Amino acid sequence: MSEPVAVLGVGQTTYVRRHPESSAADLIWAAAEEALADAGLGIDAVDVIIAGVAPDALAGENCVEKTAIFGTGKPFLRVNTGGVTGSSTAFAGASYVASGRARAALVVSLERMGQASTSQRVFNTIFDPVYEKDFPLTTITMAALRASMLMRVYGYRERDWAEIAARNYRHALRNPLAHLHLDVTPEDVLDSPLLAWPIHRLEACPMSEGACAMVLGHADLAVGRNVAWIQGMASTSDSYAMGDRIRRPEGSLVDLLSLQRSAVRAYADAGVTDPRKEFGVVELYSPFSSAEAMTYPALGFCAPLDGPRFIQEQQEDTSLPVFNPSGGPQAANPVSATAMVRIAECALQVRGLAGERQVAGVRRAVATGQGGATQFSTVCVLGTQRP
Amino acid sequence: MTRPAVYVEGAALEISFADGRRNLQELIFDTVRAAVDDSGQPMHEIDSVVLAAHDLVDGRSLSSMVTSPAAGAYLRDEIRYGDDGAGALAAAVTRLEAGHARRSIVAAWGRSSEHSPDQFSRSLFEPFRSRPLGLDEFVLSAMRAQLCLAAGDGVASARERASLRRINNARANPRALRDGGFRSAPHFPLDDADLPLWADVTAAVVLSTEPGPIRLAGVGQSSEAYNFGDRDLRTITSLKTAAERATADAGFGADAADVAEVDGLTLIDEALGLEAIGFAAPGTGLQALAGDGRCNPSGGGASGYSPPSMGLVRIVETVLQLRGTAGSVQLRQPRRAVATGGSVVAGQTQTVVLLEAVR
Amino acid sequence: MTELVSIPGHWDFDYTYFAGEAASRFFAELRNTRVMGATCPDCRRVLVPARSFCDACFQRTTDWVEVGPEGTLETFTIITAAFPGLPEPPIVMAYVTLDGADTALVNLVLALDLSDIGAAAAALQRQPRVRVQYVPEPQGRITDFAFVLA
Repeated sequence: MSEPVAVLGVGQTTYVRRHPESSAADLIWAAAEEALADAGLGIDAVDVIIAGVAPDALAGENCVEKTAIFGTGKPFLRVNTGGVTGSSTAFAGASYVASGRARAALVVSLERMGQASTSQRVFNTIFDPVYEKDFPLTTITMAALRASMLMRVYGYRERDWAEIAARNYRHALRNPLAHLHLDVTPEDVLDSPLLAWPIHRLEACPMSEGACAMVLGHADLAVGRNVAWIQGMASTSDSYAMGDRIRRPEGSLVDLLSLQRSAVRAYADAGVTDPRKEFGVVELYSPFSSAEAMTYPALGFCAPLDGPRFIQEQQEDTSLPVFNPSGGPQAANPVSATAMVRIAECALQVRGLAGERQVAGVRRAVATGQGGATQFSTVCVLGTQRP
Repeated sequence: MTRPAVYVEGAALEISFADGRRNLQELIFDTVRAAVDDSGQPMHEIDSVVLAAHDLVDGRSLSSMVTSPAAGAYLRDEIRYGDDGAGALAAAVTRLEAGHARRSIVAAWGRSSEHSPDQFSRSLFEPFRSRPLGLDEFVLSAMRAQLCLAAGDGVASARERASLRRINNARANPRALRDGGFRSAPHFPLDDADLPLWADVTAAVVLSTEPGPIRLAGVGQSSEAYNFGDRDLRTITSLKTAAERATADAGFGADAADVAEVDGLTLIDEALGLEAIGFAAPGTGLQALAGDGRCNPSGGGASGYSPPSMGLVRIVETVLQLRGTAGSVQLRQPRRAVATGGSVVAGQTQTVVLLEAVR
Repeated sequence: MTELVSIPGHWDFDYTYFAGEAASRFFAELRNTRVMGATCPDCRRVLVPARSFCDACFQRTTDWVEVGPEGTLETFTIITAAFPGLPEPPIVMAYVTLDGADTALVNLVLALDLSDIGAAAAALQRQPRVRVQYVPEPQGRITDFAFVLA
């Protein structure tokens, strides 16, 4: 029994390096209150709260979401799935509504990495302490391993990564919530310091903190309101070891099998058959510009070998969806929230509420989530049509 | 609109300590594999994995990267809650009811031999007002104990008898920890016997909507305020509300249960838990633990403890009771059961599950 | 305007990670200069490092086999920026599929000419053959070996 689920409201704080004026609870409730106001509902109407907070070490507070629970007695769960936390959290809330156990779910994700002095040392602890801790495995070097493989297998060049990054920054200039507002060219990106070949600093994401919330609800609560509908959602988890995924016949490391499988299921639920034509907007969770390249074939936008050509097509073909009108994670990466921000931004686009970054006439949009070293992938299709 | 019923098809539980032959993933694999074997289902029939684990218990950030494959997540829909196992189970139930999954593994674990439960507990307190004071979760249990004991001598003697019964149940429970484990230092007026036995715990179940002998009759969840000063000491309000919701869901309550497995950080919390869910009248929780054979026949926290797995452990114990396979702690033909699980911080969020043996 | 308070803190947790019998045996074999894989009875893959279960098939592995000592460099990166707590750059890290293995293993690649990063990258993109090189006194740790061009 699956009730359709609407995104009734969206709330976001700004994404910045630090919010010294706010406690974790302040950030959570700032986003939550904005989402509730947008939905036209009070907290009493909410039947469940799902909070997404990824590694506690980034905040330096264990289970920091617990500090935001007050006396309302709502069912409350905390999700931690790393980079896909934001989308896992949204999907969990959607299941409560779809099952009929909740008429309205408040889903909120908080990134508090502003309290961390360094994120890389924390991110190094995500790797296996027995086999991998001794190596310089970081999110950056893991991305670089994939980027170099993409260049060898599918013919991408360093310049492609720079063009994607420049496009993301350009879009972010119209997003007042974004962390970075940089006016840079692909040349500027290539001139930025090389971190791990082939990745340059401006192709990586910033350390951002902030919170994003949504109110998801039953169709009855959508009557007479401007909402976006969740038309399809899917999540797939892969093997941990990147080495297990390199030569795998089902799909190599850079074929992003987990995203591909999620897309197949989400598109089937949503009835999407031609992603190039049906989506007005795509919001990708690619914390490195090179990571975007793996999403294009996985999401059905082009054949794998046509990936480099597709980057050019995005600049030339106005019938294609607009990629990351928000600027994406390059411009703001509040890790726990980023995957929810992608869904929230798509919801705003579908509802025509995306302000200066609004793309005209969006009937359908797709948001992705990415976690671990491309181990976890989520796809969420939103649209104006009630399923 | 009716929701499909959800059934428990398989269950497994292991409590060990410092088994150096197995790493964390192997411990998890053994229990999840056992639960899947117990269900009789092939892996390809399972399309969902729902987990409960804490990064800071596992000792790695985003610990589900290395642990989710060990729990059967390969190319499946998997989600990890940093919350109690019973809460994760409640979420898994919504997935099945919504048709978002057909058959789900639910697994939870915590390995006390690899981390420091005291460090973990102290780190739950925010750095501004409470962490500098050295608070840990046992402080709440101690304050509750103080309040209970202040009620009179009858309470002190009930507590002694409850403690003894708990130890005896743990000795009899085939699944309890036999060797090893450790306890924290007790805060007055708690004593050693009140405290949980820190152990390495892994628990797993397989759920589906396909009819079977054990049905999840009702689920309820709730939460309460973070600050101890904002909480009621006598009544675990989140547990009381969760139980009310589960009762409304099931059409029967804890008072109709033939077996009650209640999670609590200490003996006192287990006793107050029995009152909160309506199994024991207010003020009689310790008496119930002392003399009512239906309460925590597993031995509760004395058999082995490690958050965030305990709600799922309590659920597995009730499943075994309903099946008649609980071994030397088996009660006589229980038909209905209640199990609870509380999260950090000191049981701030609670889940109550009511189960029924289907004839 | 209230003065904003911030409190310095240090996140300090102690852990003991049990490597388990399988990893311990893998390390013991490394001390004997052997890299071991384990076979999954269902998919028949040889999984390296050897491990006690195959997560794809959710089955326990059976036979252990030696792999290498040579293999193919699958993908790499050249680390040029220093990170706290890690070796001085430039360093090359790569995934290598050793002969006989179905999965790749990560480690550093030593003794490469890194004076021209672009040229070094181009050479590594050609997926050269590499071999395992052990340190003079293996300790039974993953750092007992690295890769060098074959």
